[in-house]
Amino acid sequence: MQLQIENLSKTYRGNVRALRDFQLQMGPGVLGLLGPNGAGKSTLMRILATITQPTAGRALWNGADIARDPDALRAVLGYLPQDFGVYPNLSAAEFLEYLAAVKGIGGASARKRVAELLELVNLAGVARRPLGGFSGGMRQRVGIAQALLNDPKLLIVDEPTAGLDPEERVRFRNLLSELSGERIVLLSTHIVSDVEAVATDIALIAGGRLVAHGAPEALLARVNGKVWEVVVASGELPALRQRHLVSNTAHRSDGVHARVVADTAPAPGARAVEPSLEDAYLAALAAHRDADSTRIGA
Amino acid sequence: MRSLGVIYAIARADFLERVRRYSYLVTLLFAVYLGYAAATGRVMIRLGGYRGPYTSAWIGTMMALVTTTFVSLVGFYIVKNAIDRDRQTRVGDILAATPLTKASYLLGKVLSNFLVLASIVVVLALAAFAMQFFAAEDRTFHAWSLLSPFLLLTLPAMAITAAMALLFEALPFLRGGFGNVLWFFLWSFGIALPEVTKVRQLDPFGFWSVTQSMMAAARAGIPGYKGDFELTIVNQPVKVAPGFHWNGLDWTATALLLRLMWVAVAIAIPLCGALFFDRFDPARSRGFLRAKSQPKEPTAEEGAAQGRAQMLPRTAAPAHLTPLASQARHSSFIFLVAAELRLALTGSHWWWYAVAAGLLIAQLAAPLEVSRGPLLAAAWIWPVLIWSALGTREARFGTSQLIFSCPRILTRQLRAAWIAAALVAALTGLGAAIRMAIAGQRAGLLSWSAGVLFIASLALALGVWSGTSKFFEGFYTTLWYVGPLNRVPGLDFTGSAGGHLTSRYAVVYFSIAAALVAAAFFRRARQLGRT
Repeated sequence: MQLQIENLSKTYRGNVRALRDFQLQMGPGVLGLLGPNGAGKSTLMRILATITQPTAGRALWNGADIARDPDALRAVLGYLPQDFGVYPNLSAAEFLEYLAAVKGIGGASARKRVAELLELVNLAGVARRPLGGFSGGMRQRVGIAQALLNDPKLLIVDEPTAGLDPEERVRFRNLLSELSGERIVLLSTHIVSDVEAVATDIALIAGGRLVAHGAPEALLARVNGKVWEVVVASGELPALRQRHLVSNTAHRSDGVHARVVADTAPAPGARAVEPSLEDAYLAALAAHRDADSTRIGA
Repeated sequence: MRSLGVIYAIARADFLERVRRYSYLVTLLFAVYLGYAAATGRVMIRLGGYRGPYTSAWIGTMMALVTTTFVSLVGFYIVKNAIDRDRQTRVGDILAATPLTKASYLLGKVLSNFLVLASIVVVLALAAFAMQFFAAEDRTFHAWSLLSPFLLLTLPAMAITAAMALLFEALPFLRGGFGNVLWFFLWSFGIALPEVTKVRQLDPFGFWSVTQSMMAAARAGIPGYKGDFELTIVNQPVKVAPGFHWNGLDWTATALLLRLMWVAVAIAIPLCGALFFDRFDPARSRGFLRAKSQPKEPTAEEGAAQGRAQMLPRTAAPAHLTPLASQARHSSFIFLVAAELRLALTGSHWWWYAVAAGLLIAQLAAPLEVSRGPLLAAAWIWPVLIWSALGTREARFGTSQLIFSCPRILTRQLRAAWIAAALVAALTGLGAAIRMAIAGQRAGLLSWSAGVLFIASLALALGVWSGTSKFFEGFYTTLWYVGPLNRVPGLDFTGSAGGHLTSRYAVVYFSIAAALVAAAFFRRARQLGRT
């Protein structure tokens, strides 16, 4: 089971380049795709979900080009888009039974699967209520359930925790971890804590390019010994931000505790601290931006 | 003054958003085609088999009448999305939280509706110029004679159309498909209003004023004229009556005031609509024909379950999921057809089924000609809102990404949806089919089958291509009115008006159905990015 992305590019009308020569290879496990807004995450998700076609390059599912034979992938694909609708007059169970039929699952198998999934996403008690009355979080859980209807081998979830309350978010993370054993899960988000909790592999994307790819430990190792905590007066914070990458701040009685990513101690008294994935993510993005501006300058 | 500024801002933004959409280009192409059809003599005014010479007055009035008649019908469907767009884009939620008054909002939207329709009128006015130039029957251009009908007949009619489109959007029970179907009948009634009421002032489209004026001139100039007037589509040239001269409408002060009165009515209509407009409050929206569009309050048991679903700690390990057996992934196609049929019928009131059942029983009980004539016609207009959702549901409810990422959408889902629509037609018209089968009317049965497939195919093609249900609702209602109801041979797709040509018409409708299905599949394939 393998998904291989080879030199994938996507250019929209008006020469808007959403993806540029994107390359990635993944096997079973959870790949967390992290990137800022507009980085090209959703475009990549849509291409991999066979919703849209790349302008150049290809994506291979077990060696077969998904653009040439999308149905081969669709049969084993579970997709939760970032933004999706539901039929408001159908109940959650009816909606899932309908999508099960569209995915080729019918009869008793579909009904059993739907019941289990509604239980899984905590909606069994409201399974017969029209979706029109569901809250945003409840609809999102219906979306999660539909993505799992066909027991997918490739599960693509785009910003899945948007709209979920903290408890549901944790529950969903647990679910992803449990599911990841025998399938490829592609989790796209800009919420670092979601990735930190479940990803076995991380890909950073910015400006449509792959910025970094590796295990969380490898990304953390890049900033090992480069994260500092420094206490400054409130008035000094803007100057500190000008000089260094500040990943977090907290106001305390003795001043502002700033978390800084820098090769050397940013100020006298700075204390080296354990790096987080957020530090690694911000450092990688900053490095990418610097490289980009150097390229443009050259 | 501030209100005027707000109305202008609303109208401007709405107009710009519209004209920058691809659909506006299609609208202009419709206007250009209509102008071309009229300017090349395909659409014509005929009195006693004759027409008047192509003077500025004749051409201007004829083109204005064509514009008024066609654009007031079709234009309604084109502009009836001003509020809906704000609902879909959720800009309405932002506007609702501002001090904007309902009246200002609706007046701004009416103005935008009117500007879109007026842009179509401009295209047709230019076509009138071109027509007089190329016809060259009268080389003297009289700008006022040519343009005044557009200005005084058509534009007030467009204002009324723009206002009615908005009123239908503002009234919850007219917002959906029922309103789209109703507009056709209201429009027909509006055309005939002075005739029906015998009050000549009640002439919003100006149709009666023109016909009376032209008919008076025809009585004086055409020997043996019997008082007929046709605005019609012709295939052959129409002769000019030598003594027939018509100098255009006499725009007296009273006539001008009457036309201005309709502009005032157009301004008053959205102000009335403001009384009922929900201001994007979903709690105040009420569906009409689709019963469950607003969910019912939960029962005590459901409420408790929902409460539990929201309140209990839920971070524990997820429940068990049974692995899906490989044979379960290849379920019968019938399951999907059943699912599509259920989806199509979900939300219909009990009385919808009661009326459909009543029509079915009536088809079985009534004399054969009544059964396959008016009763079959009635049975095949009743599910119009079910058919109109075909091919548009994914775009309307935002489920495209969920559906389109499933396997074999073209060969399974789209085919199943089409079959479900055809099943609805077959079931609602089954009584007539049984009667024809018993009577051994093979040609009739063939026509009936062609009708079943034609309806489903038309709904699918228009839905998939337009992405909205209203074009099917408007077009099908018009076709149904002309064909099955008024039994115009060739347009009656039920075959009841075919006579000895019934089988031939059936073959034609089978062919049209096949072409429509092919068009729908082609378009959906493009949407899936597969061509």
